[in-house]
Amino acid sequence: MSARTLFIALGCVSLSVLIAACFLGSTPMSPGRIMAALLGQGTNADTLIVWSIRLPRALAAFVVGTALGISGAALQGLLRNPLAEPGVLGVSASASLGATFVIYYGLASLSPWAVPFAAIAGALAATTLIAIAALKTQAVVTLILIGVGLSSFAGAAMSLLMNLAPNPFSLSDLINWMLGTVANRSFVDLGFAAPFLLLGLTILIASRRGLSALTLGDEAAQGVGLDLRRQRIAVVLGAGLLSGAAVSIAGAIGFVGIIAPHIVRPWVDYDPARTLVPAGLLAGIILVTADIAVRLAPTSNELKLGVVAALIGAPAFVWIAAARRSQGGGDA
Amino acid sequence: MPSLQLRDISVSIGDAPLVKHASLTLEPGDLIALLGPNGAGKTSLLRGALGLAPLSSGTAALGGQDTAAMNARERARMIAYLPQIRPLAWPNKVHDVVALGRFAYGTSISKLPDADANIVADAMEKCDIAHLATRRADTLSGGESARMHCARALAAATPLLIADEPVAALDPRHQLQVMQLFAAYVAGGGGALVVLHDINLAARFATRLVWMKDGAVVADGPPADTLTPKRMASVYGVKAQVDERGVHVTEPL
Repeated sequence: MSARTLFIALGCVSLSVLIAACFLGSTPMSPGRIMAALLGQGTNADTLIVWSIRLPRALAAFVVGTALGISGAALQGLLRNPLAEPGVLGVSASASLGATFVIYYGLASLSPWAVPFAAIAGALAATTLIAIAALKTQAVVTLILIGVGLSSFAGAAMSLLMNLAPNPFSLSDLINWMLGTVANRSFVDLGFAAPFLLLGLTILIASRRGLSALTLGDEAAQGVGLDLRRQRIAVVLGAGLLSGAAVSIAGAIGFVGIIAPHIVRPWVDYDPARTLVPAGLLAGIILVTADIAVRLAPTSNELKLGVVAALIGAPAFVWIAAARRSQGGGDA
Repeated sequence: MPSLQLRDISVSIGDAPLVKHASLTLEPGDLIALLGPNGAGKTSLLRGALGLAPLSSGTAALGGQDTAAMNARERARMIAYLPQIRPLAWPNKVHDVVALGRFAYGTSISKLPDADANIVADAMEKCDIAHLATRRADTLSGGESARMHCARALAAATPLLIADEPVAALDPRHQLQVMQLFAAYVAGGGGALVVLHDINLAARFATRLVWMKDGAVVADGPPADTLTPKRMASVYGVKAQVDERGVHVTEPL
């Protein structure tokens, strides 16, 4: 299957799951009513359910998945390791910390841009730190340990915020940020994250060719004409913007950024540049599907999307890590 | 004519001087073997020459331009650099790895224009890896992998080429094969600077030998002039016999 066929196939599946997400939900509705609502001819209640609840929620899941999938693929290309991902590297946790900080201190009510800005600032701080560490060490284990440290620190700082939370309402809010969910997201929330998503996406797509060169290692990549410094800045900035914006929508959702590129890679001949877009689409599909499952699951309290993602993703992470040839390739 | 001119260059990391006031000129028609024991500063000299490591003294110029100030792509179109071979990060196809040699011309490996595709095919043909084009690079033997990287360097179609230990860990047959590739490249109008550890191989193929010790260039000249038992003793610390058939190391001093 060529890269183009893969792209078209993933594009079609993406559309299908997005439409399916509009048809499925906790309120049973006939397909006819939903079609009518989608076309703007349904009752007010039906239109509200489809246009204000299901569609924005499905789009949020898709956009967040896509952003995390592309960031993961780009970070994996830069660090030459299939285990690099915004969640594992502590980028998502740092972004959540930024978001919860402005929420807890009431800054979020000052401007709707506060949450996206704070989340992106947190994400960029983490990606920058990791890129600096990557200059000093090529051992990816070290980078992942730094990510674990960052995650733990951000988690501790968020627990501190929770301890200080003045009322239980903000406590449940904080939990949403830590666990990750796309419930109750509106087009307005998506709109405030959109500029950052587009900017990050543009930067990563524009610089993806350099990721192919990095396959050879830093030194040889420079030998074939890659400006290594510029490439690093582009990936750090692009992945920071994308994962920060994703967190500003949904909180910290881990592991999709590992799974999607991992599945896509054999189909694109392991070329990191060609991995980005299909990995993004697939990650979007995974999150929309997982979110449909969350909504349909007969649990008394709705499961958090981030919990489901981690339940599937964490074992996959362990499996990929164990299946790697002993310290081969990327660590050199 | 494109040439690489190093004048009095020094490279250091922190307080440790790795290269001390070295000078060297590489021009088309040269096949220079850079010799010296481990830690003599050969790789640092190459990195300094290419502008990849900062110089603490001297100048490195490529076609009259300061290499450190050159844009990476512009530099890569004049000089191909083959660092010591490291495993690839991903199991890419051999063809895609060779196609990375065209990176500096702005091509994507998945969408090579015809002209670039022909150059890549030609380079693979020359290096005898055309039949491996669709193989995954991690399934290659050491010799095949070395030839793949040589093909990548040749695909850049640059007037000059620098290779760091391209024949390390190869058996004699593959060593000869790779050296013949460089010789053919030079015969075709290129200029190559190659780090080697095999003195006999160097003496056989190189037009000039550049000897380094403790970060300094201690001799630079044709094999007949610079390859002597005395130099083997001073540079490598070994007792050696030199005759028309080559050099024969007998014992460490």
